[in-house]
Amino acid sequence: MLETFTPAVCGGRKRQIVAQALFAAAAIAAATALGLGLGFVGSRVGAREAVLAAAALALVAAAREAGLVRVPLPQARRQVPDRWRFELPLPVWATGYGAGLGAGFFTFQPVSTFWVACAGALALARPLPAALCFSLYGAGRAAMVVWPRRPAEDPTAAVERLTRRRGALLRANAVALVACAVLLALAPAAGGATLVAGSALDPTVSGGVIAFETKTGDVVVRPSGEPDLVFPDAAQPALSGQYLAYVDAGGIRVLRWRDRADVARIDSPGVSRPALDWPNLAFVSVGPDSKRLLVRNLETGTTRYPANVAPGADLGRPSLRNGRLAWHVVTRNRSRIFVRTLASNTRRLFARTEIGRLSNPSLSGRRLIWVDARSGVTYLRQGRLDSKSRRVLARIRGRAASYWTTSLAPGAAYMTRWTIASGAAAVYKVST
Amino acid sequence: MQPPEREASTLDRQAERLSAKLAESTTRRSFLGRLSAAALAVAGGSAVAAAVKPDEADAFHFCGHIWTTGSCPSPYPPLARIDRKGFPLHPQSGRPIDNLGRIVDSAGHALDGNGNRLRGPDGEVLAPAPRTRICEDWTAEVKGLKDLRVQGAWFRCCGGQIRKLVDCCSRSRRRINGDASLVGYCWGGRRVYCVMYYDTGLPC
Repeated sequence: MLETFTPAVCGGRKRQIVAQALFAAAAIAAATALGLGLGFVGSRVGAREAVLAAAALALVAAAREAGLVRVPLPQARRQVPDRWRFELPLPVWATGYGAGLGAGFFTFQPVSTFWVACAGALALARPLPAALCFSLYGAGRAAMVVWPRRPAEDPTAAVERLTRRRGALLRANAVALVACAVLLALAPAAGGATLVAGSALDPTVSGGVIAFETKTGDVVVRPSGEPDLVFPDAAQPALSGQYLAYVDAGGIRVLRWRDRADVARIDSPGVSRPALDWPNLAFVSVGPDSKRLLVRNLETGTTRYPANVAPGADLGRPSLRNGRLAWHVVTRNRSRIFVRTLASNTRRLFARTEIGRLSNPSLSGRRLIWVDARSGVTYLRQGRLDSKSRRVLARIRGRAASYWTTSLAPGAAYMTRWTIASGAAAVYKVST
Repeated sequence: MQPPEREASTLDRQAERLSAKLAESTTRRSFLGRLSAAALAVAGGSAVAAAVKPDEADAFHFCGHIWTTGSCPSPYPPLARIDRKGFPLHPQSGRPIDNLGRIVDSAGHALDGNGNRLRGPDGEVLAPAPRTRICEDWTAEVKGLKDLRVQGAWFRCCGGQIRKLVDCCSRSRRRINGDASLVGYCWGGRRVYCVMYYDTGLPC
């Protein structure tokens, strides 16, 4: 294919340059699109499993390149369609060649590295960084075409020189793949979570916007691709679209976070732990004889009282989404998570245990996540409201650290991880 | 201090199987065992101290427990140390712990190494976590058994003090080890499902 990009085939030096440029652009674009797609798919798959699978695949590939095992590669052993350059205009066939080779799946793969890169992009679980990384693959494809060479030299000479050094290349590739496997295994995502914000706690997510409390006592709203908005002397944020609720010295404040315009206030020092699903605001009110969970419609002013517990019980931070309210109650005897459907006013005991601590549930759609702390291990679990399926999204072994508050978004769960001795906390994200 | 826990050798395991078969076929002095345990409890510490030989009891998986049935599930497995009412204690310090294994005060608040109440990342004192009984609550939930009761007990000398070894009994014919259960000091059709221990603090 390389010999096609010559003045003889292209019809002149200028047309050759145009063809090479189109080939390079198409190869990079196709590789970028592939990385984007793989990263997107990876964001829908559990990151921990994907990273560990990629690390394992890299090790197998390294063994293959070192000649230790024989593993066939999934590939199309076809060359680019030769007839294109006779039947199609130069811009079309040059672009077509570039797109076909840049996508990787439609050509011969002499080594297994491409498939490891695919697995790595899946494991990255972030479309844009994966696209950026894969664009380098397209650039590599293009480099062989546009590589400067002496005018009289055969265009395939560079490939032949590489072929003569195949043994050294395979060994270098094996070393690179082993390094890749080690780095993947050590990546934060291999531990099940990636850092979102250091020295922070109480994440809340709505519509791609995340907010959290900082350890210095502020609330930060972080819209995607925009600068942070800081709300000083605030705590326990709860987002719902354009609205933000948080706790301040006087009670609970609800405002539009973009223009900071006040929308509502609950003036009482005994209220805390807001959850917002506009126009409903859930919060906990602590009185001398009991702790109550309230849901107030901020448009109509009506108030419901879904839960009332003794002062000694822990009535946790509720979660309010799509007309459902979830909360935890922990006593000396047991720990329970409830879900109430506001429209029908039906309450359901979602989970309970007498030997652990279930806390800080978060709702999204028909899914629920919560923290399940046991002796020597803390789990972040996910379950569905319409089935009994449960799975562990992340875990911390040992007694030195644990999970705290959570927030659930489509495709991702956020949680506070804190070190018990020091109180240090950070917000992490894990794919669901 | 407790003696180090010992791994079961092949010989020990064979002996355990043999003893399990033998014990299964007989009632191990149920009446006398209960009677003597009750007498010891009524008579008080001095009588217990006199009744137990002042040498260290041999241990299978914790001091005082010889062969056979495994420990009940607990915050620090396999050291299912309990207080008089069956709630978990820290195996080393003997202080009350909650179900997460944290040392707690009388109100159930977890304490740090200095004895201060633990605080969460928000600076607030942590709410108490559940603290439930090892036999009736822990074992019942972990193993899905609803008829567990604390029944028989026996005594050994461990770490210079009298240790009360307690049977957690069930009508299940399988014990926590997964094999056939023994009658042990259980009664009323129950057999030993798992074992716990209570350090009396009385010298031996």
